[in-house]
This record gives sequence, structure tokens and C-alpha cells, in this order.
Amino acid sequence: MNAWLRLSRSWRAYSSLATRSMQNTLAYRLSYVVNFASSFVLLIAMYALWNAIYAGREELAGMSWAQMKTYLIISFISNSLLSYYSETRISGKILDGSVSADLLKPLDFQKARLAETLGSTVIEGGLTVIITATVLAAASGIFKPDFIHSLLFILSVLASLLVKFGIVYIAGLLCFWSTGSLGIVWARMAVTSLFSGALVPLSFFPSWLEKLSLVLPFQGIVHTPASIYLEEVNVWGALGLLALQCAWVCVLWLCGKLMWSWAVRQITIHGG
Amino acid sequence: MSFIEIRQLTKQFRQAVKEPGLAGAVKHLFSQKYVDKTAVAGINLDIEEGETVAYVGPNGAGKSTTIKMLTGILVPSSGTISVGGIDPYRNRMENARTIGAVFGQRTQLWWDIPISETFSLLKDIYEIPEPLYKRNLEQFIELLGMKDFLHLTARRLSLGQRMRADLAAALLHNPRTVYLDEPTIGLDIAVKQRIREFIRASNQERGTTVMLTTHDLGDIEDLCSRLVIIDQGSLIYDGTLAAVKDRFARERVIHFQLEKADLPALREALDRMPKVTAEKLERQHVSLRFDRFHITASEVASAVMRCGEVIDFRIDEPGIEHVIKQVYEGRISLDEQHADKQTAAGTEANRR
Amino acid sequence: MSILRSTRRTLFLYRRLFSTQLKAILEYQTDFFIMIISAVLTQLLGIVFLWVVYNRIPDINGWTFWEVVFMYAMIYLTEGFGSLFFEGTWRLGGLVNRGELDVMLLRPVSPILQVLANGIGMNGIGNIVIGFIMIGQALTKVDLHWSFGKLVIAILLIITAVAIRVSINLAANTSAFWIKNAGNAFPIMIHNLGEFAKYPITIFSMGIQLLVAVLVPFAFVSFFPAYYLFDKSTSPWIWLAPPVAAIYCGAVAYLLFRIGLRKYESAGN
Repeated sequence: MNAWLRLSRSWRAYSSLATRSMQNTLAYRLSYVVNFASSFVLLIAMYALWNAIYAGREELAGMSWAQMKTYLIISFISNSLLSYYSETRISGKILDGSVSADLLKPLDFQKARLAETLGSTVIEGGLTVIITATVLAAASGIFKPDFIHSLLFILSVLASLLVKFGIVYIAGLLCFWSTGSLGIVWARMAVTSLFSGALVPLSFFPSWLEKLSLVLPFQGIVHTPASIYLEEVNVWGALGLLALQCAWVCVLWLCGKLMWSWAVRQITIHGG
Repeated sequence: MSFIEIRQLTKQFRQAVKEPGLAGAVKHLFSQKYVDKTAVAGINLDIEEGETVAYVGPNGAGKSTTIKMLTGILVPSSGTISVGGIDPYRNRMENARTIGAVFGQRTQLWWDIPISETFSLLKDIYEIPEPLYKRNLEQFIELLGMKDFLHLTARRLSLGQRMRADLAAALLHNPRTVYLDEPTIGLDIAVKQRIREFIRASNQERGTTVMLTTHDLGDIEDLCSRLVIIDQGSLIYDGTLAAVKDRFARERVIHFQLEKADLPALREALDRMPKVTAEKLERQHVSLRFDRFHITASEVASAVMRCGEVIDFRIDEPGIEHVIKQVYEGRISLDEQHADKQTAAGTEANRR
Repeated sequence: MSILRSTRRTLFLYRRLFSTQLKAILEYQTDFFIMIISAVLTQLLGIVFLWVVYNRIPDINGWTFWEVVFMYAMIYLTEGFGSLFFEGTWRLGGLVNRGELDVMLLRPVSPILQVLANGIGMNGIGNIVIGFIMIGQALTKVDLHWSFGKLVIAILLIITAVAIRVSINLAANTSAFWIKNAGNAFPIMIHNLGEFAKYPITIFSMGIQLLVAVLVPFAFVSFFPAYYLFDKSTSPWIWLAPPVAAIYCGAVAYLLFRIGLRKYESAGN
């Protein structure tokens, strides 16, 4: 009985964190629109660039222009589920020292940050998905997968969100070692951009680079969901990729946990 | 024309009204409501050069808003301000050269460099001539006891140290006017005294005009000759501190320590004495509050001594705090001062 | 005060305020190597992306690899100068929201100067170094006709490019006067428009070209200098365009700041 009570109480604590995060995100409505516009700009730049690259060409690295267009939009969706704003909230807490206040709360830091992130993702990501899904449906030449693949795609997107959280969380914790700069976050963004396939599909890479990217967790953010959507793998292949994503989610979560307890020891010994 | 002249100064703010909770946040996305709030409502004030003025009022009364307008960082909704002949908003930089300011909660020190570097930077910013800079700095370091932490960055200072450094920074360039917004908030008594002495010295030696907003009534007693009270945007009192004390800080409390008091006799005596209330009436401790315009301390003491052997006694003189508290609570309207004047004069005449 | 004297005083005060920031950072942020490395990484990975693409195609709209690298590098180089010397523009939001701008307004120094000199971003060093290396490489690898005049103009174009970048940064950050919250992403959105200017803007639609050439003139940071230097232009006077754009951007930034400041002073914080 006690265990249930504790579970429901802690669930309520985390979900109220999520709700409050949603409220906050809504409160800054102009800022949200601007955030969205900001990443949309990057999508347009990429789209136009690839349009020019594909000018007069049927296919590149095994992808047609139709597939490429689709890829860019999927990449955009996968990437914008966890915004820069959400990310800097985590690293911000560590950089400005307010993390020591969180030590006093009866909440698991990692779970709490996940709750907050999910809260703002519902709003930010939700609207993004609606808008881009509308564009996808309306625009021509956009690839549409069959039912099974669509389903697996949605699951993969959810998994990619958790993978991204895992990476972002660890990068945020690494800020313990930086003395006040977002340098680590920017480095993470650059590395993630390239190795997740957000900038260019991994199939464009020379094979050694492509192989390297496939063993890293970043490909779980864009490459995996995009591959499933474009039906580049069959159902079994998709399930395998999903399993890999989930494995990465667990590995990243555990790494995060370990790093956190290490960090806590640092704070409590050195006084933040 | 006085040195600082304020005429019909008014400031209104627009504030967004939002309902709480998630529903309210969503609603606010679509329709925004605003309400006008008047922070300062047409005040008039004259301050001569060299005066030390205490600007007092409950939280939200409009003190900080007035100071911000005086320093030129907030534009009035209407009305005029003139400081030494300069409009602080229209000629902000010209005015800035002649003023210093300390805002209690915020610092003007650069956060990550040693205090001594901050001072050096200010010397360049205010174009302070080298000999004046040296002289002031030496004097300030001595008066404020800053030698121990001159080399520390502002980040590493305690609140008391930071306030002292901020004060030095504000006065380094010998401004004509200095605005102090809660300069002693949160400080311990030793630091408070140092700061008060420093401000007093500056005022007396250099004729700096001081305008001080504070909740600490000890600051007022120590530093200011004039008291201006603002409440809900309007001035409700403007006069000398002495006048206020004479009118209102009339009550005294005498605490007696007795061997064995004859309480029934004492109570009877109390009934016969005008405007005396017993705060404590026990066999060995008696505390009586009386109005000195109605009865003298010796009369009260004699009455008590007739009812028991007095071992020890002490007289409390409640300060300006008592008055201000009553004004805040709305219990005295400061127009009463006219009525009481007559009562006091009448009583004095009667007694003679 | 004469123009000469006030210019000297401005430069003097900028130098003093900037060295204050430098001292502060040397005291506290001993990890700026992380920042420099992350800037280097970002720029290099961007060029890796270009290289991956150019591995499969010979040119984009007639522009070769090194020509596009030049444009990339100009964007990053100017970003580096902006970060190293004028990082303060990015801190304007914080100043406004925490009321720290008040302290600056109390001083007899131009608030714009104080804002510009209010920060230092060591990552700028990484961008500047790699940027110059890449520009150097591009200018040697591309076949062009050099002359003394062209060299002088090249230097001028780099200077105007920095001026344009800083003006746009400042203008974008004045949004803090209107958008009063900590998560203001407007400046970042404007900054991201620079993404378009990494490539020859002729590959984009007319709308985008107007956006990046007129509204937020990043094109004068990279594209037009490239246009001139790589002899792709039909007009020999095209090199005058970036300096004119620099003056235009500076004026707009100054105006927006003054308007925003007036709003700040009427509403308090």
C-alpha cells in the first residue's frame, strides 16, 4: 500500500513539474513563435540548398529529390522536438548554480528534468508536428509510407526524443566542468548536427565516416526515424533499429545517472 | 528656485492582468487585459543643496519610482523635475556627472574584477582628476575600513563589504547629490554605523545633498534633518524630524523593578493619573506608558515609589519608529498635528 | 566636445571596459579552451559537410568548393569578431531583464558603448583563426587576378563585414526591450538567417534573396565580397555595396536601440 502511495505521489510531483513547464512555455508565447521560426529558417535554408544541389540531377547517393525533400522535413521534426530553449534550461541550472537548490528537493534530478522537457515538448513539439504534418500532407512529391512503417515511425520519433534527451542531459551535466560557458552545449550541437544525419543523410558520407556514425547514439535522433519513414528498411529491419534506439536510451539514461551521482559528490564535497 | 525642484510629478504604469494556472495561460495567448496603476500621483517637493532628506513610506508607496525619475532612468508621465537646473531625463549624461547613487539590492561594482579596479575604472569614466581621486580613495578606504578587501572581486564580498564599496563608488567623484535607496538593508549594526558616519561626513564636509529612502528608522534618526513620507503615491508629510518627534513621539515607558509592590494601591493611583496605561503590573515588575505632555516622569515615578520599594528603573523613549508605524497603520493622520498643538499648549498652560 | 576628442574618449573607454572583461574572464573562466575548441569544431564540421556534398557534385550553381568555403569562412570570421570584441550585444537581454541596464544609465557614458563593451566571448578566437585560415586557403586555391587595389578592398570588405555583423547583432538584441523574458530567441533567429549567407544567395528564391540582402543584409558579409573578389561581377563598382550596407545597418541598429531605450525608460522594469 505504501509503495503505491509513494509512487502515485511522486508521479504527481513529476507531472505537476511537466504542467508547470507547459504553462511557462505558453506564457512566453511570442518567444515560442520566434523559437519555431528560428529553426524553420534553418529548414528553409537546407531545402533551398538541396534544391540547388539536385538541380539537373536525378539522384545522389541513392536518394531522389522527392526522398531528399521528405528526409529534410523528417529531420526537422525529429530535431525540433527538443528545442535549444529546453536544452539551455538544463545546462542553465548547472551553470548558474541553482542545481544546489534542487539537491534539497525530494525529486530525482534526472527524472525531474525529463518531466520538464516533456512538458515543454508537448507544446513546442506538438505545434511543430501539426504544422509540418500539414505541410507534408499538402505538398506534392512527398513520400508517404505504408501503415506499418508509419506506426513504427511514430514509435521511433518518440524514442528519438528520449535519445536526444539522454544526450542533452549528459552534455548539460558536463557543464559542471566548464566555468560558466555554453561551450560544451555548442560543441554538442555541432557534433550532433553532423552525426545524427540532420545536416546530410549518412549515406552521403564516405563509407568510413558512415560506419563511424552508425555506432554512435546520434544517429538515433534523425537517421533512424527517417530511414523507417522512407521505408529504407523492411519491418524487421525497422524493429531492429527501434531496439537499437531503445538500447541507447537505456545506456544514456544510466550514464546520466552515474554522472549525476558523481557530480553530486563533487558539489557536496566542494560546496558547489 | 531650490536646488531640487519637483512639480506635479506623476508616474503611471500599465500592467497585464493574467489569470493563474494553465487555463489562464492559454487565455492570455488570445486576449490581453491591462490595468493602469498610479505609482506617483502629482507630488511637489523642494530640496535645498546640502540637505539630508529621508524619503519614507511603506512598500509600494512610490519611493523607488520617485528616485528613478530623479536620477533620470525613468521618464515621468507628467510633471517636471529640476536638479541643479538640469532636467535629469532630458540631459541624462550631464546630470549623471553630478550624481551618485546606491541601490540597495543592485550593485554598480563590476562583478569579476577587484574593487580597486572598479574604482580605477570609475576614475576614467567620471574623469576624476588624479589628486582628487587619490585623496578621496585614501579617505574612503580609511573611513569605511576597506583595506582588507580592496583586492577582492565584488563576487567574493559579504553584503556589508559590498555596500561599503558601493557607497565609496557612488561618492568617489564628489557628486553634488547622492541618492541612497535602502543602503543599509540587511546589514549588521557595526557596518550600519560606519556607513552612517561616512554619509554624514560627506554631507558635512562637502555639502553633498543626500536623499535617502529606507525602512531603517535608525538611519533617519542618525542622518536626516528632514522627513518626507509618501504613501500610495502622494506625500503625506514633509517637515523636520524634530517637529514630528515633538508632536508625536510623546510617549515614554518607565520600567520599574520593585521589592514588593502594593498592587491594589498602585491600581488606585493609576486610575487617578491621566493618560497612563500599565503595560505590566506584577509584584516585582511594573511598566507604565505615559504621555509626557499630560504628566511628567517624576509624577509617575513618585506614584510608584509610594506603592513599594523601587530597586531599579529605566525609561524607554520610543523613537520615530513608533510614529511612522502609526502613520503606516493609518492611525494618525498628520493633520492631527494642528489639533494636538492646541491640546498640548492648553495642558501646559493648565499645569502652570 | 569636439568630434576628435569624443572619438578618442570613446575608444579609450572602450579599451578600458573591454580590458575589464578580459581580466574578469582570465580570472574566472579558465575553461575558455572548451569554448575555442567548440567554435573550431563547429566551423570545421560545417566545412566537412560541404566537403561531403562536393565529393559527389562538382559545383553548386556554378560556385566551386573553395568559393563557397570563402563565404562560409566570412560568416564565421565575422561571428568571431562579434563574439570576441562585441559579445556585449548578446547580453543586452540579461541587462534589461535584471534591471542592470539602470546602473549603466546612471553613468556619464553612452549606453550603447557600455552595452557593446559588456562582454567577451573567447570562442571568437577559434572562429577568427580558422576563419582567416579558410579565407587564406580559398583565396589562394581559387584562380583570380590579384592587384594592390584588390588587396586593399579585400581588407576593407572584411572590416565592413564585421561592422554589418555587429550592427545586425545589436539590432536583433534590442528586441529585449520589447520581448521581456529570459527565453528570448529572436536574436538567435536573426543570427540563424546568416545560414543563408553561407551559400551563394542566387540559389534561393527571390523572397529569401531580398530577406538576406535588404532586410537582414548578411549577404554583404559573404556573398557580395565573394562576388567581387572572384570576378563574378559584371560591375566593377560592386565593392562599394558592402560599405554602404554597413552604414545602413549601423544606422538602423542605433535607431532601434534608442527607441527601445526610450520604451525601457518609460516602463521601468
